[in-house]
Amino acid sequence: MSKAPERAAALPAVLRAGAGRRVDARALVVGSALALVLVVVGPWILPDFMVNNLIRAFLYAAVALTVDVLWGYTGVLTFGQSAFFGIGVYAVGLIFTHLGFGVEHALLAFGAAVAGAVVAALLVGWLAFYHGASPLYASVVTLVLPIVVTQLLYSGGTFTGSSSGLSGFDSFSLELDGWFRIAGVYLIAITAATWLFVKSDAGRVLVAIRENEPRCEYLGLDISRIKIGLLAVSAVVASIAGYAFAGVQMVVAPEYAGFVFGTELVIWVALGGRGTLIGPVIGTLLIDVSTAYLSGNLPFLWKLVIGMAFVLVILAAPEGVGPLAGRLLRGRRDRAAGLVPDLRPIAGSGVTEPVDAAAALEVRGVRKRFGSLLVLDGIDFTARRGELLSLVGPNGAGKTTLLRCIADGGERSAGDIAVNGRSIERRPPHRCVGLGVGRKFQNANTFDALTVAESIRIARARVERPSLWFRAAGLDLPQAALRVMQATGLDQQLGTRVRHLSHGQKQALELAMVLSLEPSVLLLDEPTAGLTKPERTLIGQILVDLARGHGLCIVLVEHDLDFVREISSRVIVLHQGRIVLDGTVAEVVDSETVRTIYSGVRA
Amino acid sequence: MSAAALQLDGVRSGYGEAVVVRDVALDIRPGEIFVLLGKNGMGKSTLLKTVMGFLPILAGTVRIAGEDVTGRAPYHIARRATAYTPQEQALFQDLSVDENLRLAVQDDGRRREGLARVGEIFPFIPQRLRQRAGTLSGGEQKMLLIARALMTAPRLVLVDEITEGLQPSVVQRLAAVLRAERDRAGTAMLLVEQHVAFALEVADRYAVLKLGEIVDRGAAGDPGVERRIAAHLSV
Repeated sequence: MSKAPERAAALPAVLRAGAGRRVDARALVVGSALALVLVVVGPWILPDFMVNNLIRAFLYAAVALTVDVLWGYTGVLTFGQSAFFGIGVYAVGLIFTHLGFGVEHALLAFGAAVAGAVVAALLVGWLAFYHGASPLYASVVTLVLPIVVTQLLYSGGTFTGSSSGLSGFDSFSLELDGWFRIAGVYLIAITAATWLFVKSDAGRVLVAIRENEPRCEYLGLDISRIKIGLLAVSAVVASIAGYAFAGVQMVVAPEYAGFVFGTELVIWVALGGRGTLIGPVIGTLLIDVSTAYLSGNLPFLWKLVIGMAFVLVILAAPEGVGPLAGRLLRGRRDRAAGLVPDLRPIAGSGVTEPVDAAAALEVRGVRKRFGSLLVLDGIDFTARRGELLSLVGPNGAGKTTLLRCIADGGERSAGDIAVNGRSIERRPPHRCVGLGVGRKFQNANTFDALTVAESIRIARARVERPSLWFRAAGLDLPQAALRVMQATGLDQQLGTRVRHLSHGQKQALELAMVLSLEPSVLLLDEPTAGLTKPERTLIGQILVDLARGHGLCIVLVEHDLDFVREISSRVIVLHQGRIVLDGTVAEVVDSETVRTIYSGVRA
Repeated sequence: MSAAALQLDGVRSGYGEAVVVRDVALDIRPGEIFVLLGKNGMGKSTLLKTVMGFLPILAGTVRIAGEDVTGRAPYHIARRATAYTPQEQALFQDLSVDENLRLAVQDDGRRREGLARVGEIFPFIPQRLRQRAGTLSGGEQKMLLIARALMTAPRLVLVDEITEGLQPSVVQRLAAVLRAERDRAGTAMLLVEQHVAFALEVADRYAVLKLGEIVDRGAAGDPGVERRIAAHLSV
C-alpha cells in the first residue's frame, strides 16, 4: 500500500501555497512598528493629561488582553484578573512603604509581584480547573478571588492601609514620558507575543478546549494543566502591569484588586470583541481615555454618554467593535482557513511494546449503575492484540457505556479493567490515552470552529508538542489516519472548517483524529454511521490492516451485521447489560439468539 | 388535482459563500415517500435544512401544500404540519421522554392516542416516559426522535438518516411502519438515507444528489435501480 505517500505528495499546489511558517508575519511587524512609533512620538505631541491617562490605559489593556486569551480563546470566563493586577500593585506599595525605595527593593518588589501572582494563580487554578469542574464553577472561583484579596487588604490595618490604601511612598524617579514609553512598549510586546501565540499551533489547542473539552481529554490532553499554566502566565502579565501602575501612580488602593475592576475588564473585552486581541486592546484604550475626558468635561452627562455608546455597540455590533472593524477592512475573508500544511505520512508505530501473548484489554467484573438502573452487570472478557472484536446488541444494551468505562477510569461502579497489562485504576480519560486507549464517540465529536488540518494537529499534540509561535508547515500523521482521510476525501479539504463538513465526513475526521493518537486499544462506536457503502468498505479494510498488520486490539460497536461479518475476528453480544454470546463470527452472527433479540432476520 | 406536498423549484443554498445545493427541483405528492441518496457532503442534509428554513435560500422557491414558504422562519414552516428530524441530536437532553413528547403535541387526548400508536413500534417509549432523554442510549434517542415527529400527525415529514445507529430488527420494522403511516394518514415523506436497501424498500421514488445537483432520479421499483445507485455512490 504505497499509494498514500504519493497522494500526499500530489496535493494540489493551491493547497500547499498557503502553508506558511508564520501567520500574517508582515501584518504583525508593520502593526508593531507603527505602534512603536506612536508610543515614542506620543509624549511630544500629546497633552500631559492625555499622556497620564494613556499610561493607565496601556496597562489596563495588557490585563484586558489576558482576559481575552482566557475567555475569548479558551472559554474560561474570568472576573479575577484584577486580583493579579492588585498583587503587582501591592507588591510595590507594601515594599516601598515599609522598606523604602531602592534598586534592590524595586527588584524585590518585582520578584514578589511575579511570585505572588504565580502562587495565587496555581492555587486558584488548582481549585477551579480540577478534572470535571464545570465552567460556571471556574468562573465563580475567579469571582471569589478578588473578593478575598480585597478582604485581606481591608483587614490588613496600617500594614496594607486598609480601605484607603497606601500613598506617599517614594518610587522610581522617572518622567511621565518615560513611563508612557515603558507602558506602551510593554503593551505592544505583550500584544505581539499573544498574537503569535494564539495564531500558533498551540493557540489552536486553546480554541479546541473552548469548543469541545471532552474531545480534548480523550485526545490525551491534560486540560487542567494547560489551563493552570495559562492562568499562571496571564497572572504574571497582569501583575507586572500592576507593578508599573503603582510605580507611576504612587498610590495603591484595594479597588485595583477588586471584582468591580475585574468585571470592567470583561466588559471592555466584550465591547472590543472577544477572541480578537486587538479589539479588547482598542476597546480598553477608547473606553478608559474617553471616560477620563468626559468625566472632566461633562461631569453630569458623561455616564449617560458612555452608557448610550455601550447600548449602541451592543445593538450595532453584538460581537464587539473589533470584528466589525475587521470585516469593514478586509471583507469576510477567512484567513486562517487558507493555511494548510503538507500531510506527511509516518510509519505509525502501531504497538511498540514487546510482542507477547499478553492481553491488550482485560475487563473483569465490570458493573455500571445510573442511580438504581444497572446498565452493565458483571462484564468479563479478555481481548488480545490483533483481535477485531465487534460488540453487538439491541439499542440500550450498554455497548456505549462499556466503551466509556474502558476509556475513563472514573466511570465504572465496580470491577477492574487493564490495558496492556496495566490497570486503568481511576485514571481520567487523558491518562487512559497514555496507556494506549483511543476512543471514537458515537455522535461525531469534533471541533466545529477549527479546520480539518487543525483538528488533526490537535490530535497529534500529545505526541508532538505544538509550536508556541508558529504554524508548522508539515503535519505528520500515521498512515492509517491518512488512509481514512483519503478514503473520504478529507485530504482534499484540509482548510475547510469542520462545521461545514457533512455528518459522515465529521465521523471520518474523528476516526482519523483517534488514529492519529496511535492507540494500541482502539474503541470505535459506530465509526461508519453516515458513510456510504464503498466508504465503509474502505474503512473496514483499514481496520482489518490495523488489527492484523499492526497488532492493534479493536473493539467495535456496530449495527451493520454485514460489516461486522466482513471484518470481525470475534463477536460479543450484549443484552441488558450482560454478555450473552462470545465467539467467532460464524458462531454468533447467524445464531438463534442474535436473530431473536437483535437482527430479526428470519432464516 | 391537489397541490404537491412539497415542491422545490431551482433551489440554491449553502453556507456563507459556499453554495452546497444548486438548482434543485423536486415534486413530492401527498402520501408519497421520496428518498434522497448520495455520497457524503453532496448537499442532502443541507437541502432538508433549507426546506425547513434553517438556512437562507439563495435562489428558487419552496412550496408546502401549495403555499409559498420561501424564506419563512422554521416555526412558520413547522406550523404547516411539517415535521423534521435532523441527523444530529435534537432532543431536549435534560427533559424527560414525556416532556419531549409534550412539547411536540400539547393536546392530551391526541398525545395519548399518538403514544399508543408509537408505543406499538417502540415499546420502550410508553414504559420509560419519566426517564431523562439524555440518559437514553444513542439508538433509543433516535427512536424517540422519530416517534416525536410521527406523533404530530404531520402532512410532510423530513427525516435525515433515520436508520443510523438502529439495530437491524428495528430498521426492518421501520420500513413497514413508515409505509403503514403513509397509508393511514397520507403523510408525504422526504428521507435522506445512506442505507440503500432500506431506502429502496420504503420509498416510492428516489433522487441522487452529486455536488448539490440531482444527477439521477426514478422510481424505487425500476429494474436495475440498485446497480445504478451503487455506481453513483462508488468512490
